Amino acid sequence: MRLLGRPGRFLLLILMLSLCGGLMALSLSGALTSVEGVAAAPLHGLSGLFTRISLSFNAAFEELNNLGRLRDRIAELEEQLARRQVELIQLREAARDYDRLVSLLSYTSALENQEFLTADVIAVEQTGISRSIIINRGTRDGIAVGMPVTSDLGLVGRIRSVSANASQVQLINDENSAVSSRLQTTRGHGSIIGQASGVLRLTMIDLDEEIIQGDLVITSGLGGNFPSDIVVGQVTSIRQFEFELFQEAEVRSLIDFDTLEFVLVITSFEPIDLGVF
Amino acid sequence: MARYLSIAILGLAAALSASIAPQFLEFAVSLLGNITPVLDNTRGQLSLVMLVALCWSIRADLADALIWAFVGGLMVDMLSILPLGATSAAFILIVFAVNGIARQLFRVRLLFLVVAAPIVTLFLTTYNLAALALLGNTYDIPSVLRLILIPSMIYNLLAVLPVYAIVRMIQRRLEGGLQIAPQRLTQWIEARYGE
Repeated sequence: MRLLGRPGRFLLLILMLSLCGGLMALSLSGALTSVEGVAAAPLHGLSGLFTRISLSFNAAFEELNNLGRLRDRIAELEEQLARRQVELIQLREAARDYDRLVSLLSYTSALENQEFLTADVIAVEQTGISRSIIINRGTRDGIAVGMPVTSDLGLVGRIRSVSANASQVQLINDENSAVSSRLQTTRGHGSIIGQASGVLRLTMIDLDEEIIQGDLVITSGLGGNFPSDIVVGQVTSIRQFEFELFQEAEVRSLIDFDTLEFVLVITSFEPIDLGVF
Repeated sequence: MARYLSIAILGLAAALSASIAPQFLEFAVSLLGNITPVLDNTRGQLSLVMLVALCWSIRADLADALIWAFVGGLMVDMLSILPLGATSAAFILIVFAVNGIARQLFRVRLLFLVVAAPIVTLFLTTYNLAALALLGNTYDIPSVLRLILIPSMIYNLLAVLPVYAIVRMIQRRLEGGLQIAPQRLTQWIEARYGE
């Protein structure tokens, strides 16, 4: 091959590019889904193993690195805890009232009836531009495209593609992700959009809605893509201009997407197709 | 032999890129936060597979280099949202160009690698953006340039020479292995049966 002349080199290039073109066409048509799943299984296994190892090392080093900051944080959290305990007592009272009202109305919260499946995060997206993760559950475990993914701290994203034993999850901070949401206190509606920087932005909020800094943002269930009342994040700043039709707020998710280890897939939720209306 | 080895090495590189590399970069940036404010809160990526394919193509013949690029691209695509073969096509174009230029610049290969790594990162990011746009995704280009492209160029620039050292060591072992075996066989025959 060292003796390949210029025409031979170009012929080889064209052949290889044609092969890639053919593969892309087959992959996009879905004909290679099962083959891709089988071929990627060892790679997913290896990535999962490395992720576990690196996360444990990272956590240990970070703890050492943050010792000083952690001390200040503990003091701050202790102060917050004292304040929250008072709130907790009030909220327990409110919860009792709520339970009584719910039983009266025979109303069942949608979330209570959800079925969850735990999955390990085994890899992160390779292009760097799109924000997604790969989890170690696939069609064999009953995972389907569109299923919402959460963690104990709130909404993570939703299933974008599935193979037999792994799935790709589009994170809510991906630029192409949009989640219908509402502010918990004022019930104002908006849409959570991911930003290139990784932060979340609550857009399309009516100008007459009041936005409170620190307010929780939860899913509204509008559009049928996510169940309602899942925590998305907390409002950190507000943007309001007189010349704009809507106001915006910057939202910080409680989840650190870079160090996610486990997620919960809501398997009982079926996204609603509103395309027919 | 090198062609079969590509599957293991590139698979390992892809798995490392998708798991340990992001964690390591985050940790390193948090440690060096005061020195490198430009990298704070960015989302640059270390493309180990691209670097391995690039370094391999510097000294290998074209056919070998293209196979490494093809296999490397497949490994990346299996861990990304792009269809199978999309990254392979980009790697093949990169390797074809790099292999051609490296043959002319064989005296300054290391310098060439240092120059090539950021340029190749720029090409790959632009290619990925275009591929994602064709799949229906839209991204804010200035943010991508600031938050992803520039840090990725820096990471790949810093990593290219260590990766080249490892790749070169593997290449030497492979070349050495092919030469040493017959010599040992000759020595054994001479010792056993005399001249």
